[in-house]
Amino acid sequence: MVLSFKSWVANEGGKHFVLILWLGANTWLFLRTFLTYSTGQQYYYLYKMLGLGLCISRASASVLNLNCSLVLLPMCRSLLTCLRGTHTLSSRGTRRLLDKSKTFHVACGIAICIFSVVHVSAHLVNVVNFSAFFSEDLPALNLARYLGEDPRMIILTTVPGITGVLLVVILFLMFTASSYCIRLSNYEIFWYTHNLFIVFYIILMVHMVGGALKYQTNVDTHPPGCLRPNQSSPELQGEELEPGNEERRCKEEARFHPHYPQTWMWVSGPLCLYCAERFYRYIRSSDPVTIVTVIRHPSEVIEVRMLKRDFKAHPGQYIVLNCPGVSSFENHPFTLTTCPTEEKETFGVHMRVVGDWTERFTELLLPKTGVELEILPMVQQRRYPKLYVDGPFGSSSQEVFNYEVSLCVAGGIGVTPFACVLHALLDGWKQFRLRRLYFVWVCRELQSFYWFSELLCALHHKLWQENRPDYLNLKLFVSQTEDLQSMSEEKYRPLSSRLSIGRPRWKLLFDEISNANRQKHVGVFCCGPKGISRTLHKLCNSGRYTGVTFEFNKESFS
Amino acid sequence: MGKIEWAMWANEQALAAGLILLTGGIVGVAGLFRGWEFAAYSIAAGVFVCLLEYPRGKKNKGTSVERTGQYCFTVCVKAFGPLTRNYYVRAFIHAAIAVPAGFMLATVLGCVCLGIASLIYLGAAIRGEQWEPILPRTETRKAVGESIKQPPQNPPPRPPAEMRRKRAEDLEGAAYDNPIKVTANEE
Repeated sequence: MVLSFKSWVANEGGKHFVLILWLGANTWLFLRTFLTYSTGQQYYYLYKMLGLGLCISRASASVLNLNCSLVLLPMCRSLLTCLRGTHTLSSRGTRRLLDKSKTFHVACGIAICIFSVVHVSAHLVNVVNFSAFFSEDLPALNLARYLGEDPRMIILTTVPGITGVLLVVILFLMFTASSYCIRLSNYEIFWYTHNLFIVFYIILMVHMVGGALKYQTNVDTHPPGCLRPNQSSPELQGEELEPGNEERRCKEEARFHPHYPQTWMWVSGPLCLYCAERFYRYIRSSDPVTIVTVIRHPSEVIEVRMLKRDFKAHPGQYIVLNCPGVSSFENHPFTLTTCPTEEKETFGVHMRVVGDWTERFTELLLPKTGVELEILPMVQQRRYPKLYVDGPFGSSSQEVFNYEVSLCVAGGIGVTPFACVLHALLDGWKQFRLRRLYFVWVCRELQSFYWFSELLCALHHKLWQENRPDYLNLKLFVSQTEDLQSMSEEKYRPLSSRLSIGRPRWKLLFDEISNANRQKHVGVFCCGPKGISRTLHKLCNSGRYTGVTFEFNKESFS
Repeated sequence: MGKIEWAMWANEQALAAGLILLTGGIVGVAGLFRGWEFAAYSIAAGVFVCLLEYPRGKKNKGTSVERTGQYCFTVCVKAFGPLTRNYYVRAFIHAAIAVPAGFMLATVLGCVCLGIASLIYLGAAIRGEQWEPILPRTETRKAVGESIKQPPQNPPPRPPAEMRRKRAEDLEGAAYDNPIKVTANEE
């Protein structure tokens, strides 16, 4: 598929620009610190003792400072949700960058790991050099206590050494628990090890206490390389001293001072911001919600409607549920399918029952089917478990209303963000910029469409009544082609007439959209399996559709 | 809630520790630092640990994600039977390998990381986990067109043509019973 420059820039340009800025900042910082230590006058003696190891270790330390401060910022989710909503980021391109916040966090994390390896290796070489080149002339500069001291003893008896070992161990635990496989299968290991970050940062801030590396304070009175009073210059051996050489005599001995710890200046701001955010989220979610209704849908989906004081959300956002009756520490994200409005204050989620948390949660909410219940004479009040809700958090699906034409592709239960969008359109569609919505929903079984069949039909009827039949273009697909299926109810006629058996043909769909919407930016939103989203992303980047730019937005959880 | 599989985490740690041992060993030998024999040992140890830990085990429930190209390693590791299946043995092996690497500065970190991995393997072994190889499922080829039933083996149960010809004079005798019902499918 031919990549068109214009499409590629529209889709990928922003991310790559930020990447280049970040790489540039890291490179500049590394080189600047490297040159300071290798050519700076105040480090002359230290550089003579330690060599390149000094420069590499200090340069990588400054890069680590930068990345340790940047890595926390993308994880301030409430702050990012706020930024997305307000008009501070008025450009759609900048808002799309917020979708990639998790990727940026991972990039900074990988940079921290790589530069930690460089930093540790360089410092190990430094420790060996401190021990081997113990200087009698400049005793203040030494880290070792005597010539040839075992480097391992140096590490274990100084504050930077011990804190360094602890930092490496914590980083090792965090890094090995962050692989995709572990996050998929044992999310708790990932979550608990990642929360060790607070210990990591505290130890990082005391890492420089003790001052292993010192700089010279009196460069003007003792220019480095000057001759001591009882020393003669090696090249003038045997020749007479010229008068000009007096300038090369030292006026006083070199004096050294350890560095002031700098890491806290880099790190404390983002750390305070992140801790404030976690605290705010904890306070906000401490109010339990009232469960209003629980409805069981076909294909193992249940809908939970809830009520919470002062809860406001926009279509496309998601919440995180915590049910202490199921598990005290597990938090699970679910996209909102109904947002609270002025008329109706309840909000709801649809959740698919797959996995032990959802199964146990369903058991607590609904009685087991198939169990014969006695008909009791009095109405038994359902005792729902306590539920805490954290959120709402922003996601890319909020942008559906900001394009003139949008294509929403949903796979199975991935329809939930778009269901919220459709609910919002049902309440009123005129105030949005959106003028045409293509809605493609692919499911394995026909029964899944009953989750939102009423909503789709209601919206369809409303738009036809208001003389906008072209606003909503619905295409439903059933991907399992084994049995002949159709929706037989009369009220679901609009759906059954738009139902196709088999997988959708994306190229034809894109051709149709580009023919009907020339010279427009079409927002493509995908929430579904990776295969579909990869295909759509490639199609958006290809340059087949002249005059139409498809901008790809992917919904990604956590 | 839910069973956590610690062995998977220990596997990631051991693989990373093997790589750290390898790197530290190479640095130690390249610089010919004091104690470089330990560095040479840790190169070999690192390679061994990486080979042992590269194939991922099968998860108890859910789909297991393989590492790329791990099939040949799976076969080799599986060949050792209970030695590699049991996590107590692995914990002990890793602890034993880690100790000599602690004597040299360049490989000390590898020793610490492998020690942590060995502890987690011990925890996994106590909880009764085992290493199961991920083998490709032998796919049963789906018969083409399952809706097409087995083609009939025998011709329809009609008597030969002479008997079928309706004899006007003997209508009663011409009637025959089909041994197999030919009424409409009731399923």
